[in-house]
Amino acid sequence: MSSRGGKQKKGNVTSEQEEEEQPLQAVLVADSFNRRFFPISKDQPRALLPLGNVAMIDYTLEFLTSTGVQETFVFCCWMSNKIKDHLLKSKWCRPTSPNVVHIITSDLYRSLGDVLRDVDAKNLVRNDFILVYGDVVSNIDVSQALQEHRHRRKVDKNISVMTMVFKESSPGHKSRCEEDDVIVAMDSKSKRFSMGTDEFEIRHDLLDCHISICSPQVAELFTDNFDYQTRNDFVRGILVNEEILGNQIHLYVTQDGYGARVSNLQMYDSVSSDMVRRWVYPLTPEANFTDQQGQGCTHSRHNVYRGAEVSLGHGSQMEENVLIGRDTSIGANCHISNSVIGNNCTIGDNVVLDRAHMWNNVHISSNVEIHQSVVCDGAVVKEAVRLNKQCVLAYNVVIGPNLSLPEGTVVSMHHPEEEEEDDDDEFLSDDQEVGHSKDKTRQKAFNPAEVGPEGKGYIWKASMNDTEDEELAQCLWGLVLNPDPESDSESEASEESQDRTFQLEVLGTLQRGLEENIVCDNLVLEINSLKYAYNITLKEVMQILTRVVLEYPFQQQGTQLTTLQYTGSLLPLLKTWSPVFKNYIKRAQDHLDCLSAVEELFLEQDTHQTAMVKVLMKMYQLEILEEEAILKWFSTGATNDKSRQLRKNQGLQKFIQWLKEAEDESSEEGE
Amino acid sequence: MELQAVLMAAGGGSRMMDLTYNTPKPLLPVGNKPLIWYPLNLLERVGFEEVIVITTKEVQKMISTDPKVKLDVKMKLDLVCIQEDADMGTADALRHIQQKVKTDVLVVSCDLITDAALHEVVDLFRAHNATLSMLMSKAHEFTETVPGQKGKKKTGEQRDFVGVDGTGKRLLFMANEADLDEGVVIRKSIMRKHPRMHIKTGLVDAHLYCLKKSVVDFLADNKSISSIRGELVPYLVRKQFSKSTNSPKVIDETHQNLKKNDSNISSRDEELLHLTQERSCWNDHRGDMSDAYHGGRLRCYVHIMDEGICYRVNTLAAYIEANRLAPKLFDEPAVHPSAVVSERCLIGADSIIGASCQISDKTSIKRSTIGVSTTVREKVKVTNSIIMHGVTIEEGCNIQGSVICSNAVIGRGADIKYCLVGSAQRIEPDGEHTTASPHLMSKACSA
Repeated sequence: MSSRGGKQKKGNVTSEQEEEEQPLQAVLVADSFNRRFFPISKDQPRALLPLGNVAMIDYTLEFLTSTGVQETFVFCCWMSNKIKDHLLKSKWCRPTSPNVVHIITSDLYRSLGDVLRDVDAKNLVRNDFILVYGDVVSNIDVSQALQEHRHRRKVDKNISVMTMVFKESSPGHKSRCEEDDVIVAMDSKSKRFSMGTDEFEIRHDLLDCHISICSPQVAELFTDNFDYQTRNDFVRGILVNEEILGNQIHLYVTQDGYGARVSNLQMYDSVSSDMVRRWVYPLTPEANFTDQQGQGCTHSRHNVYRGAEVSLGHGSQMEENVLIGRDTSIGANCHISNSVIGNNCTIGDNVVLDRAHMWNNVHISSNVEIHQSVVCDGAVVKEAVRLNKQCVLAYNVVIGPNLSLPEGTVVSMHHPEEEEEDDDDEFLSDDQEVGHSKDKTRQKAFNPAEVGPEGKGYIWKASMNDTEDEELAQCLWGLVLNPDPESDSESEASEESQDRTFQLEVLGTLQRGLEENIVCDNLVLEINSLKYAYNITLKEVMQILTRVVLEYPFQQQGTQLTTLQYTGSLLPLLKTWSPVFKNYIKRAQDHLDCLSAVEELFLEQDTHQTAMVKVLMKMYQLEILEEEAILKWFSTGATNDKSRQLRKNQGLQKFIQWLKEAEDESSEEGE
Repeated sequence: MELQAVLMAAGGGSRMMDLTYNTPKPLLPVGNKPLIWYPLNLLERVGFEEVIVITTKEVQKMISTDPKVKLDVKMKLDLVCIQEDADMGTADALRHIQQKVKTDVLVVSCDLITDAALHEVVDLFRAHNATLSMLMSKAHEFTETVPGQKGKKKTGEQRDFVGVDGTGKRLLFMANEADLDEGVVIRKSIMRKHPRMHIKTGLVDAHLYCLKKSVVDFLADNKSISSIRGELVPYLVRKQFSKSTNSPKVIDETHQNLKKNDSNISSRDEELLHLTQERSCWNDHRGDMSDAYHGGRLRCYVHIMDEGICYRVNTLAAYIEANRLAPKLFDEPAVHPSAVVSERCLIGADSIIGASCQISDKTSIKRSTIGVSTTVREKVKVTNSIIMHGVTIEEGCNIQGSVICSNAVIGRGADIKYCLVGSAQRIEPDGEHTTASPHLMSKACSA
C-alpha cells in the first residue's frame, strides 16, 4: 500500500502548512438530483455504482483525502441508507482515517441549492471548502488552486467567492461530455470569468471537473437566493450581478491532472476506460485504495488486471485494458478487450466482450457477444445473445436465449410505466418508494419477443414525444452529437436554408393568425421568437415578412391568379397585418429595405407588375411606408436595367407624380 | 519580385480638417518631414526598390514642385493619380491599379509611422501561405493636451473586437462595436477548430496588409467592396471558415485565369504547395488529427506589436504625438546645418530645427519642432509645440502646447497656449489665447 502511505504523507504536509488555520472541509453531494441513470439508479444510488469494481463515491473521497481534506460532509438523499451502510463499512469511517466523514441525510433535498442552504443553516463550514458530487473521479492536486483561491481572498477582501477547477481537453476528446460542452470567457491574467476587460479569452478546450473551491459565502448566497437550484444557477447569478454585488468567480486550469464527472453512461464508459488505462494514477485498479479484503488484483502487460481466484478457460484471450474481479470464471475461447468484469461472474465459452462493463454476479452463457454495454449486478445473459452498442441490462434482468438486442436497448425489472406515473413529481429526484407499485409490476407479463423466451425484464424506451429536456433525462448514454458536416461550418447554403425555414415559419404563423384571428401583437411576438430561433437579422425579418405577405395570395390560391384577383385578395390582408409591418418598419432604412423587398418580388412576378402600384398605394395609405422613403427609393434605388424598367411603369410614375404633388401641397400648407 | 508595395496616399484626412485644409495629409510635416516619407522610408529600409503610390493630382504636383516636401528616397516611385472627388475607397484604389499588380502586394497607408519589423508580417504571410496578413499594435494613450479640446478626449470611437487563436497569430474574428446588435457572436464551428480564442480590444490597425494577388483579382470581380479595412478584411476573415462554396472560388477562379492567360509570373505553384501540405505530417493545431488549417484554403494572420512605435496619424492628437516621437525614428542632427541659431539661446535635445531657420537670442525651445524657413525672434519661449514651415514668431512670444500651421505670423508678445493657429494667420500682438479661443482661429483658417 505504498501509494496510500504517500498520500497520507502529503496530507500531513498540507496540514502542517495550515496549522494555524482550520482543517480543510469538503461538501460531497451524493445525489445527482436527476434521473440520468434510470432505471439503474432505481436499485442503487449513482454514487455507489461500481466503476472499475469500486463504488464511485470511494474515488471522490480518495480524491478529497489526497488533496488534504480533513473533514467531509456527505449529503445523501435518494437511498441514503445504502450510502450510509457503504460508508460505515469503508475505510473512511475507521478511526485511523485522516478524513473525518460526517453523513447527513434528509429526504427533503431536491437540489444542490437545498444542500448548500442546509450547510448554511447548520453552520457546518467555517472556512473555504471544496464542493464535489459523489460521482467525480479525479487525481487533481487541488492544493495549488486552493492556495491561489486563498491568496485572492486575502488580497482583495472576499471578492472571489468560488474557484472552479477545469481540465484542458480539446473538443472531440472522448472524456469531454457532449452535454457539458462549455465555452468559457475568462481573463487570462487574473483567471477570472469575465468579458468586460480589454482583452479576454474564449476557451472551448476546457472540461468542467465539477470540483469547486467555495468560500463560506457561497452557502450564504444560496440562502439569500432561494431560487438557486444548481451550481449553474449560482454561477450565472454571480456573473450577471457581478457589477452590483461585486462577487467574482475564478477558475483554475490544470493541464496534467484528471478530473471528470460521471454524468451519463457515455462518460461512465470513457472514465472507466481511462481508469483502466491508468490515466487517473495513482487511483488504479491494482492499488486497492479502498483497502478492502480480497479487492486486490495483479497488473500485467497491456493493462490486464486479474483479481484473486480468477479462472480462465483454454484458448481465451484477454487482449488489452481488461479488468477482471475476484472469483470470476471465464470459459474457453473467449475474446475479451477493453472491458471490466466484476466479482463472482461466470462467463461461458466462445464469448466476445468489447467495451463491456459487467458488474458483480453476472452470468453469461456461451456464444454471447457484447459490445459497449452495461450489464448490472445479477443479470443473466443466456445462450447466443448479442448485445449491440449502448445496451443496458439493469439489475437481475434475464435475457435470451437466441436474441439480438438492437442498439440502445435498456432492459429493467421495473416496468417503465411505474416511472411515468411518478412523472407528476415535479422535482426530478430519485426518492420515491419503489415498493409501491411492485404488485402492479408483477401483473404485467414479460414480452418474450423483447427479452427472449426465458427472459425477465421490460424494455425501456426513450419516449420521443416528450419535450427535449425530458428526452435528455431519459437518454442514459447521453447526447451523442454527431458532428454534422453541413452545420459544421458556416456555409452560404445552410444560411439560405435557414432563411427559407424562417420564411416558412413566418408564413405558418401568419396563416394561423388569419385562421384563428390572433391579435397582431401576438403575431409580432411569435415572429420575434422565430427571429431568435433562426438567428435572423432585423433587416432580413422585414424582407422575409414582406415577401411572405405579398406571396400570400399565390400561396393560397395558386400562381394562375390574374392581377385583379391578386390585388383583390392582397389588399385586405395588408390592412389586417399593417400593425405587424409597422412594428418592424421604423427607421428610414427600414422603409427602403421594405421597398426593395417589394421591388424584388415584383421583378420576379413580372406579370403582376401593375399590381405593385396598388400595393404601394395601400401601404402608403396604411402609413406603413412614408412618402419620402418611396420617393427616395424611386429616385435612387435602381441598380440594374430590370429595376429601371420597372420604374418606367406608367402607373408607378403616376403614383410618384401624385406623391410629389401631395408633398408639395402639404409642405405649402405647412408654411 | 515577391511582393509589390502599394502606398495609399489619397486620403483627405477628414478627421483632422484643421490641419489638412491647406496641406494634403500625405504632406503634413512630421518632424520636418512630410508624413508620406515615413512609410516610404519603412519600405526602403526593408529593400523595396519600387513602390506604387496612389495619390491625388494635388499631392503629385506639390511633390514635384515644392522644395519643402522633397522626398528623400531612392526608390522608384510610380505615382498613380486618382480623382479626388470620386470618393474612392482603398479597395477601389487597389482595383484601379489591378493591371499593374503582378504578384502579391503589400499595401501601406501613408499615415503610418512605425518602427515595426516588417518581416514579421511578411514571414507570417510566407510561412502559412496566407491570403492576408496584417499588422496591429496596442493602442497608445495620447498624453498630450490637444489644442482646441477641453478636458479629456471623448471616447466616441467604437471599439474593434479582434479574435486571435492561442498563438496570437491567426486572425479568427473581427467585428466593430457598431455592427454588433447584441453582444459578440462567435460561431461554434470556429471554436471547435480553434478552442482558444483571445478576444482583444484596444488594438490599432496599422493599415498595413500583405494580400495575395488573387485577392486583388477578386476585388476586380466584386465591385461592391470599396474599402480594404471596412469591407475586404472582415470579409476575408469571415470567409476563412465558410464551407468551400466561396473560398476556393476566390482562389480557384483566379487560378484558372492565371492558367488561361498563361501569364503566371509568380513562380509559386499552388498545386505543388497543396501537394506538399497533403504529404506532410505537419499540423498547425493540436487536439485533433485533421489536416493542417482544417483544410481551409483562406487564411488570415495578424502580427500584433507588443512594443515599439506604431501610430496612424489621422487625428490631431495622433499628429502631435507623432511629432514628439518621430525624431527617434531617424538619426539626423536635431538642428539642420543650414539653420542659423544664435548661441545665446536654449534648445532642448528633444527639439528639431528645420533648414534655413533663424533663431534669435534668448529664446528657449523645448520639446518642439520648428519647420523650414521659420524665423523666431528674441525672448521667445516655445514649449511642447509644433511650428510648421515659414512661420514668423515676433519678440517675446510665449507658445505652449500649440500647433502653428505654415506661414503664420505671431505678433509681438502674444501668449498662445494649447491653440491651433491656421495657415497664414496673423495673430495680433500682445494677445492672450488659451484653449478657450482656438476655435476662432481654426475657423478663421477654414473660412
